Amino acid sequence: MTSQNHPDSALSRRPLPTRPGLSRRRLLQGSAALAAGAAGAGALAACGADSSAPSGATQIDYWLWDANQLPAYSAAIDLFMEQNPDIVVRITQMGWDDYWTKLTASFVAEAGPDAFTDHLARFPEFVNLGVIAPLDGLAALEDVAAEQFQDGLQELWSDQSGTRYGIPKDYDTIAVLYDQNMLAEEGLAPEDLENLDWNPEDGGSFERMLARLTVDTNGVRGDEEGFDPTSIARYGLGADAGTDYTGQTSWSPFALSTGWTFTDEPTWGTRFNYDDERFAATMDWYFGLVDKGFFPPFGTFGDSSPTQSQLQSGSAALVTVGSWMISTFANMEGMELGIAPLPTGPAGTPVSMFNGLGDSISAQSTHKEEAARLIAFLASDEAQQVIGERAPFFPATDVGTEAAIEAYSARGLDVTPFTDRVARGETGLYPLVENSASIASIMQAAFDQCWMRQIDGADFASYNDRVNALFE
Amino acid sequence: MTTTAPHIDRPRTTAEGRTALRPRRSVPWGKIAAWAVMVIFLLITLFPFYWMLRTALSSNNALATDPASLLPVGLNTGGFERVFGLQDVETAISQGGSGASINFWRYLLNSVIVATTVTIIQTFSCAMAAYAFSRLRWRGRDTVFLIFLGSLMIPQIFTLLPNFILIKNLGLVDTLLGIMLPTLFISSFAIFFLRQFFNNISREVEEAALIDGASKARVFFTLILPMASAPLATLALLTYMTAWNEYFWSLMVSYTDQSRVLTVALGVFRAQAPGTGPDWSGLMAATLVAAAPMLLLFALFAKKIVNSIGFSGIK
Repeated sequence: MTSQNHPDSALSRRPLPTRPGLSRRRLLQGSAALAAGAAGAGALAACGADSSAPSGATQIDYWLWDANQLPAYSAAIDLFMEQNPDIVVRITQMGWDDYWTKLTASFVAEAGPDAFTDHLARFPEFVNLGVIAPLDGLAALEDVAAEQFQDGLQELWSDQSGTRYGIPKDYDTIAVLYDQNMLAEEGLAPEDLENLDWNPEDGGSFERMLARLTVDTNGVRGDEEGFDPTSIARYGLGADAGTDYTGQTSWSPFALSTGWTFTDEPTWGTRFNYDDERFAATMDWYFGLVDKGFFPPFGTFGDSSPTQSQLQSGSAALVTVGSWMISTFANMEGMELGIAPLPTGPAGTPVSMFNGLGDSISAQSTHKEEAARLIAFLASDEAQQVIGERAPFFPATDVGTEAAIEAYSARGLDVTPFTDRVARGETGLYPLVENSASIASIMQAAFDQCWMRQIDGADFASYNDRVNALFE
Repeated sequence: MTTTAPHIDRPRTTAEGRTALRPRRSVPWGKIAAWAVMVIFLLITLFPFYWMLRTALSSNNALATDPASLLPVGLNTGGFERVFGLQDVETAISQGGSGASINFWRYLLNSVIVATTVTIIQTFSCAMAAYAFSRLRWRGRDTVFLIFLGSLMIPQIFTLLPNFILIKNLGLVDTLLGIMLPTLFISSFAIFFLRQFFNNISREVEEAALIDGASKARVFFTLILPMASAPLATLALLTYMTAWNEYFWSLMVSYTDQSRVLTVALGVFRAQAPGTGPDWSGLMAATLVAAAPMLLLFALFAKKIVNSIGFSGIK
């Protein structure tokens, strides 16, 4: 404390017995050594990798999001690498949300995959942005004909001029799932769910079944005197946490079975039909089930209570579910899974949305031919058989679908209520359009409000105008 | 005055028994209430951890049969087995797990390498920078410091793509160095944090050392760093936690197992496809396991942190 009297500034002006040159150099040397050390450590850590391609082989990246599909595709890709020793495929798998974020960012940074699993909701925008490559002209894909896939699947992966941008991998449809034990306790048989019909006026036998299976907290059924629709122990129909503009597993089976279609064209439409009377009537009926107590009010079940939990916990009797969920439902304890077809609508048949995934090739890829060989192989009968046997979904070709039906059958599951829709042509295509992200954000508000019982089916017309304005 | 008389008398008249020496106390209701409140808060704080453990030990396929059960539903260790990669893929999928192979120890090692390297280098380089900003006189120092402070205002998302393109051009995609590099050397917050501390260190001590012939570097290493050990420890811990929890950047850079860190691997556990239910028991087991190193760090350094918050340094 001898320097108490010196202000701080004085210290800096005073010549000090320091050796600044030496110390700075030392500091610099020290930090450089540390940096080099860190780089070395990182590089060493990276060297531990075992995925680098052997010399002479071309490494290509293949991305997918569904971990449930990963084992089936890994098996098929292993087979591909056996037959094509000049190609090493690096598979990257990540969750749905991360997948699209990373894919988009990687396209911007030109560090995307060579081939990747694509979704119909995203593919039109990728075509617009020019980030996926047209597949026509790639030698390996010339022999992959549209006929080898289920009818209509290849059309979903082609643009307005018919240029292919994706090779179908699988398809999905919707059916009604339930717990056979619950049905037996109710004194009903699986056949009672087989031939139900539906209409937007009185709901038909399907609504009567929902009423029969709905129970309020006093134990009164939905079709009995004294039923309290505001206090429900078990809803007749379960619900996803949210319904979007496609309503794939929620309202679309009902709307499509009135003869309504999403757009003016089967694919690449430019006018939406949310102002159609049949659609409005369907919305009034479907979300009107909330008022009757047969369907959960908005927000009753969140993301952590998906339909499988609702069925398993006995909160819902029937749920409309996509075929990609069969295994999840079949594995649940304490229930015996039953699969019933969708109810027949005013159009005379049940109608399921027909959707599917495809493989696309990145426009930036420097190994397009190799990537084309990979996705052509994945569409081959040989690969589809391998995939179908392990698949928790329906592969895109007949061979793959048959293999999957057999694999499910061996587990005691009759999945034909899903596959019949495709076999009988009772499907409506996924709305393949441009501007899907904008449409989604406009229509989400409408569907939420209708579910909250704040707007009616007729009010969708104004939202439809806003959607159609996107195409002008 | 009359009221104090019995208190004075009591020890004299009842000297034979120890217990009788003390004044008779009524039930300490205040203390009991305080303890009760504390226990309740403790239970509320610990309950989520218990719930994670309960869910981790439940059977994924049975969870919804009794969602409100306080005990594990269908007790089994499948969740933990999946986390440690002890289950084959078929069993994992049949139990509601992921079809992705889970290379847990690899991810753990990656996370430890990343968090440790970033912590050591960043803390050290930021300490040097903070020393320069605090104690060295050089032209434009305050301007540069303001620019540093300003960079705190830039959201991370703005720098994501430029950083990613740079890492890609450096050929560091899918390497641990690529994950570490953006935060390896500099953190504006760390520099600011340490500079504030260095400003408070007595100049007299430093001056004395300089007069005795010590170089600036020596002052830094033998005086400043030891005196700043408490804030350095705090900063190191914060840096470790940030590096450990970093998700988005790691996700962007990592392509395969070789650079996948635990947080990204946990993302794999989450819903894979829209509408697919998450593997709750696996997710909870993984979260518990991933949180364990952080809890350990806290247990080891809790005292340091508390001290550093209340430290006064040598004024």
